[in-house]
Amino acid sequence: MDPFIKELKETFINSDDLFLHEEEILDVPVFLVGFKTLIDFTKTKVILQKYRETAISSKKSIGELLNEIGEVKEKDVKEAVSFLMTGKLLIVSNNRRKYVVIEPVPKMLNRAIEPPTNENVLQGSLSSFNEDIETNIGLIRKQINASNIRAEALSVGSEQKTKLSMLYFGGQADKKLVEKIRSSIEKNQDREINNLQNLAKALGFSGWSVISKVNTTELPSETVAFLRKGRVALFVDRYPFALILPCFLWDMFTLENDRNYPIPLMASIRLVRIFGILISLLIPALYVALVAVNPEVLRIELALSIAQSREAIPYPALVEILLMLIILELIIEASVRLPSTIGPTITMVGGIILGQAVVEAKLVSTLLIIILAATTIANSTLVGIQNSLAVRLFKYVLVILASIYGILGILGGIVLISAYFASIETFGISYLNLNYAKEGTKYG
Amino acid sequence: MRTIPVKLLIILCSVFLLNGCWDTKDINHRSLPIVMGVAMEDDQYNIHLQIPDPGTDTMQVRIVSETGETVSKAVDKLSADMESRIDLLHVKVIVIEKELAKEGGKDLISGFMRAREVSPKALVVVSDEEIESFFSNLNNTTDPQGTTLFDFFDKDAGWSPQIALTRVWEVYRSIHSFTRDVALPIIKSGDSTVIDHLGSAVIKNGRMVERIDEEETLLINAFHEESTHGKVEVMEEATVLIVGNTMDHKSRYIDQVPYLNSQLHLKVVLLETRGNPTDKEIRTSLETQLTNRFNEMFTKLQESKADVLGLGQYFREIPREELKKWRSEHYPKLKMEFEVHVVIRNEGQLKLGGD
Repeated sequence: MDPFIKELKETFINSDDLFLHEEEILDVPVFLVGFKTLIDFTKTKVILQKYRETAISSKKSIGELLNEIGEVKEKDVKEAVSFLMTGKLLIVSNNRRKYVVIEPVPKMLNRAIEPPTNENVLQGSLSSFNEDIETNIGLIRKQINASNIRAEALSVGSEQKTKLSMLYFGGQADKKLVEKIRSSIEKNQDREINNLQNLAKALGFSGWSVISKVNTTELPSETVAFLRKGRVALFVDRYPFALILPCFLWDMFTLENDRNYPIPLMASIRLVRIFGILISLLIPALYVALVAVNPEVLRIELALSIAQSREAIPYPALVEILLMLIILELIIEASVRLPSTIGPTITMVGGIILGQAVVEAKLVSTLLIIILAATTIANSTLVGIQNSLAVRLFKYVLVILASIYGILGILGGIVLISAYFASIETFGISYLNLNYAKEGTKYG
Repeated sequence: MRTIPVKLLIILCSVFLLNGCWDTKDINHRSLPIVMGVAMEDDQYNIHLQIPDPGTDTMQVRIVSETGETVSKAVDKLSADMESRIDLLHVKVIVIEKELAKEGGKDLISGFMRAREVSPKALVVVSDEEIESFFSNLNNTTDPQGTTLFDFFDKDAGWSPQIALTRVWEVYRSIHSFTRDVALPIIKSGDSTVIDHLGSAVIKNGRMVERIDEEETLLINAFHEESTHGKVEVMEEATVLIVGNTMDHKSRYIDQVPYLNSQLHLKVVLLETRGNPTDKEIRTSLETQLTNRFNEMFTKLQESKADVLGLGQYFREIPREELKKWRSEHYPKLKMEFEVHVVIRNEGQLKLGGD
């Protein structure tokens, strides 16, 4: 047996889905090598058969035929392995120093293009990205018919190669930004990218930033809007989201889909989201501050009714609110984890715990339940799950500061959070940038 | 590099350990008095506090009292005796007994301003009866929330334009101002209503020097451009309802004599008429009635040398050194011209003289 074949076999020892199929093409014995699980072998063979027949009728030599149907490569095991891993079919003949790489008929291992699962769309285009990077880029090209979309293919990883793709509008995106992203990915060629943390490292971001520096979206329509504003979209193979760079605070409040409504409606929807972040950040902290530290701020009627609702509650306000917030976080986390068939059970049990039982058992005050409900609802108005997670975390900073310094502590906490926002920058572009699109066009 | 997390940890720990704020008390462990009564008894302050006491289902009002050399001493004694800490920040109304008001509450008011315990926005009221009986009557008739007295003075609730509204800081300002005195409402517990409003006390330098009645207080409020909306004026020819008021002032200072021309513009709505008065008759009658009433009050105020209207404020040309003598020298010489202009905005469903 050919030493090359032998070596291949040894590399994939115990991989039973590797096939080595002996065949004769134009009377030359060859091996077809590939993975059963990645290649639709029967269909591929039919196509090969057709090539063979035309070759016989036009009296081509085997060399010509192989040149025609694939790429001829020198025998290099390492390269061959990576071809096999990406689902290519190899035709190896015993007595030649070369082998041929063929694009076979692949097994269908991708989802169809489906409506989004993480982002709900009202009155907008519904198709969302899936795991296949080429489908995703295709979706973008379909979404906007423009010749100046640049799609640069990159790949990262020493052992496992991950395909990356960088999309931007030529003439619209800042050239320096594109160059910086490209060079930082190229610099980190040997890093493996399995998740967004890896990617953030590869792009040179700190892994400890609470605010995600890349904005994710699974909607082609949103992505195109970002591209048009001069942003850069990164696609990672097997990750059904577009990663938008740079990311801004304002993204928390805006969706391109808002523009499908009249302007006054769009403005009020966005205003609601701004209220959302304020309420979910401030209300729990205000509760602690007003109940424990600064009750003098309340109107007397309100102060009395709060005092009445807290009568016989054993815990101080901070413990009370932390207790309930943690239970609430558990419910949210549990409803993500659970299969949708038992999900409603959690909601129901959680509702009973939060709504009735805790109050009746005199563990927390009724007012707190209202605060919690308002916080959770308000938190969900933000765009992007990574943003609402960050706000959920910041809320605790404010609660603790409020329990120590009262209203002053809340003020201090807001200054702290604002300062933190102001300190974030992505490739030299501030997170608090409000009209990047307008500035971006300068670089055209 | 390694030291940064350590430093951060130390800073975080010290935030929690050194802030000294672990002794904050939750709202249900504080007593929030709404009304504070102050009287003087043999050189000792006698303090009454009206405290709503929220139970799980009911709200009760408690009256507690204590004496002490100072207000804070008395409150401190009370706080020690009670099961929760007394938090004076919610005191909305401070009732001062008439005797104390006549003697002068300068130290009392300065104490409130200095200690920051009582909000400077609290209202100051003079009680015409003894503080003891006032509070016990109040407790008998008050609503379960205990906010009756506060509601009485609340602009969103029971306030009417003939009641003077004066805050602690305003009283404090009047003590130190050359040109401004204040009027405090005088009340006592009523028979059918909780409170009887008896007019206002004119406070000069923290001391009560004169009394004016309700109608006169209305003019003071109108002069300060507080809304007099809703006040009913009765005349011989008709009864009208005031729906709007504005003021205009023109001041001159000639030969050491201050002159002030003030014009009150009133918008009224006709309520009832007697006989068949004309539009003009009603207006003239109202104008004369109010002008006379004002002039009477003004003479009284001038005699007591108390500038409740803050008229000194309109003479910016008097230098500060001179202004010191405003109350004693200039104010009694002030020539005041008060004019009322009435507009009948609405004659109701019936036309005047129509019948």
